[in-house]
Amino acid sequence: MTTSFVRLLSRLLIVCLIGLPLQVNAGLIGTDQAVAASQAQAARATVLSQISRTDVAAQLQAFGIGAQEARERVAALTDGEVTRLAGQIDSLPAGGGGEALLVVVVLALLLWWIIKN
Amino acid sequence: MDHQELAAAGFRPAANGARGSAGFFFAALATFFLGGCISLPQSDALRVSPPPGLPPRVELTQVPFHPQDDFLCGPAALAMVFNAAGIPATVESTTPLVYLPGRQGSLQAEMLGATRRSGLVAYTPAPRLDAVLREVAAGTPVVVLLNLSFRLVPVWHYAVIVGYDLETHKVIARSAKRARDEWRYEFLEFFWQDSGYWSMLALPPGRLPATATEQDFAAAVAALEQAGHPAEARASYRALLERWPDNLVGLIGLGNVEYALKNLPASERAFRRASEAHPQSAIAFNNLAHVLATLGRLPEAEAAARAAVDLRGPTLPEARKTLDAILAMRAAQR
Repeated sequence: MTTSFVRLLSRLLIVCLIGLPLQVNAGLIGTDQAVAASQAQAARATVLSQISRTDVAAQLQAFGIGAQEARERVAALTDGEVTRLAGQIDSLPAGGGGEALLVVVVLALLLWWIIKN
Repeated sequence: MDHQELAAAGFRPAANGARGSAGFFFAALATFFLGGCISLPQSDALRVSPPPGLPPRVELTQVPFHPQDDFLCGPAALAMVFNAAGIPATVESTTPLVYLPGRQGSLQAEMLGATRRSGLVAYTPAPRLDAVLREVAAGTPVVVLLNLSFRLVPVWHYAVIVGYDLETHKVIARSAKRARDEWRYEFLEFFWQDSGYWSMLALPPGRLPATATEQDFAAAVAALEQAGHPAEARASYRALLERWPDNLVGLIGLGNVEYALKNLPASERAFRRASEAHPQSAIAFNNLAHVLATLGRLPEAEAAARAAVDLRGPTLPEARKTLDAILAMRAAQR
């Protein structure tokens, strides 16, 4: 009884150990590192951006975005974009425009046309 | 010219706090009354010599119009260019991707991010009016960021350029609630300058911008890959490599997406081409070693991993790990 159990256990262990080295996955190097090299960026920028990503996600939340959505938005940005956004979300251009402008646009186009023609 | 002296003196009336319409009105008046005094070099250059090789008149009538509600010019502009790229979208569907309630607007970086999340390549052309015309001539509508007010109290606005006329010196725009506006070059350039002439394209997978530069387009496709769209990125990497066959980012990227899509022979081919065209790239050899090991070709994998380690560089730790793993696999086989 015990011997058969030990045998089974040993066989299982052998199978596991054979499989183990195959699971050691030293990963592929990501394309972002090739991009960073092509743009002569320091690897430091990549490290910084990992810290910034959490910051930017938190800042987006402060501007009215849900936590999950904020994470997904940040995930779609490049390292460079994240680093530029960090701490600047309140001051960078945010295109909004507004309806009130439209009347003015028409008027402006009219004036423009009169003066230029 | 005395005009230019006036401009140099700085025509910047004080901000009176009324944002938006008033500011835009005064800015518009400034352009009218000062006539040619504000220096708009890009428009001048285009009037004198239109870009060679372009059809005289183009209008992308197939680009649908989405009118914007308050503050939603970003989502509206995206919906238009997404539709043009063959992606179903409405202002309602793009608003959650890009609109930032606390700013009552949409940030440039997020316009690019939302484009990638929709499976399209987001590309920012050079800050030039002739680049806009070239992209439109190639059939791609262009999103531009305008400041409708003064620099001190900016009112940022996204519009979509869908056409131009080289003879009348005008562009055709879809903007706010207007499906078709004709703007003189000077009109666009004046309101466009504060954004640093920023524009963006949303390109379907596999399509190259007319004004693409090798490095910028490679980075744009890599960004799409990282946003989690390997299949779309694959088509665009192929287009990139068709134009620039030896581009390293393109070859590494293609290898990585083929690997992610479990297409190992294609992945191996891409990394092998990368290692042949760029024998100094440790990344190419490391990734080639990794794929060969996955395919069970350990002696070849070991040789590639050794090459990666010998090249040293910033990716040396990863290359060492790859080599160690392959050596362990070989030891386990004996």
